[in-house]
Amino acid sequence: MNIPVVKRLILKDWYLNRAIIVVSLVAGLVTIAVVAAWHGTQLAILFGMIVLVTIMIGIGAMLMITIADERKLQTLPFVMTLPISYKEYTASKIVGSLLIFLVFWLALVAAMVLSILFLPGFRHGLIPFVVIMSVEILMSTCLITAVAVTTESHGWTVGVSQVGALSLNLIGWSIVRFPEIGGTMSSPAVHWSTTASVLILLEIGIIAVMLGAAFLVQSHKRDFV
Amino acid sequence: MNKLAVELSGVTKAYPHFTLNNIDLKLPTGSIMGFIGANGAGKSTTIRILLGLVHQDMGVVTVLGHAMPDDQAAAKRDIGFVSEDMRLYGGATLAWHMGFIRSLFPRWDQPYAETLLQRFDLKPQQKVKGLSHGQRVKAALLLSLARRPRLLVLDEPTTGLDPVARREVLGELVAVLADEECTLLFSSHNTLDVEQISDHITFIDRGHIISSADKETFLDRWRRIRLILPPSATLPKFPGIVEVGGSGRLPVLTTDSYEPAMLAACADAGVAVQAVDPMTLEEIFVANVESRRQEMTA
Repeated sequence: MNIPVVKRLILKDWYLNRAIIVVSLVAGLVTIAVVAAWHGTQLAILFGMIVLVTIMIGIGAMLMITIADERKLQTLPFVMTLPISYKEYTASKIVGSLLIFLVFWLALVAAMVLSILFLPGFRHGLIPFVVIMSVEILMSTCLITAVAVTTESHGWTVGVSQVGALSLNLIGWSIVRFPEIGGTMSSPAVHWSTTASVLILLEIGIIAVMLGAAFLVQSHKRDFV
Repeated sequence: MNKLAVELSGVTKAYPHFTLNNIDLKLPTGSIMGFIGANGAGKSTTIRILLGLVHQDMGVVTVLGHAMPDDQAAAKRDIGFVSEDMRLYGGATLAWHMGFIRSLFPRWDQPYAETLLQRFDLKPQQKVKGLSHGQRVKAALLLSLARRPRLLVLDEPTTGLDPVARREVLGELVAVLADEECTLLFSSHNTLDVEQISDHITFIDRGHIISSADKETFLDRWRRIRLILPPSATLPKFPGIVEVGGSGRLPVLTTDSYEPAMLAACADAGVAVQAVDPMTLEEIFVANVESRRQEMTA
């Protein structure tokens, strides 16, 4: 793997996606400012979290759609004339897009956990649920990434983004059914159960499998342009 | 140094509705090959295979001493490629593209890039989405040429260009090719462009290489011989007659093996030679394709 070239390609994607990054960052900061202006009321925090999660899902989907657009906009032949292999191209797309997403994701997860821990009105028992759902959003973004990279199809990527957004509610509803999680959400203390750990490990495992499968599919492709 | 910049041997690639069949192609270092074929003949597929972007089903591809597609990353350090369907990033400026390419190609020649900016009348701060088609082609060519490639591959680069832009592009290619170490593969269905700059010509049709030779050989050996056939005389048999046209009394022979001795043979047979017309590359290409297709259907 030619790391310096992969790094250049990642920087290229960050530059080309700068509008998405800046708009998402500004939207995130404005949301936090609005929450602060409402003196951290529960309604404000709820509003803030909904908006921030929407931004996070949105930025993930938009970034991944730009991957699929390389073929649609016919920039793929330009990229593939650079001194890279398709494996390096795949690595740059997955790592570059996920790194942008991870910056927002980590900031949001940290903001949510810290809000629950330090702002009044929140039950600390919510934390396992929030962390599991945050990893689920990461998992959904990795699924969109894998589909975007392997299919290079705008339609498939948009379709999977919508499925990912819809499944968030279903997965959230299902997780609350676990008594170790749903039953302790209103507790004033954090109850980190084995079920919560298993669910997070399962999500991380699925992420690894999806990204590994994307690399595997790409390495077996024979026609790139 | 390897004397061949490109060598394709027995290359086959099958798609559901098209097969590139047993392609053998040799491109000596420093040569300029015009790769001519109708739309859908297999030019772009062949080029994508030699760039490693499409994997051949069978056969061996070597480019600048690198086995393709496995060693494509190393080979592409010395290849410049421009194709008609290639686009740059619309939201970025040409200056950004130049900086990006410079960061990846150590041989990037900045003074030459600036000369090309002036020659092509391109503005580096202009965003690519604001460029016309001709400007986009020239921008892509600038990004390829300033890398100082050892192999330049151009896939239909002049398609859709106005005559002035086409002249500018071809003029720059001629200037670049003064460097004897630079090899050029130029694909087009516009034979006039190819004829202007190429020294080798390869014709491809329906996935087969139908003819490959140096340009002068094509132009010297292909002729249309217009005859006057008296009622008592019969048409002499010559090798290399590709087509017999015209009317019964005024036949026109198209040959790919013209020799002055043919005229003497006609005179001996009592057939008068009205004219011997040289053929343009386009006429040679069309006659070649039609003859090949007739052979295939026969």
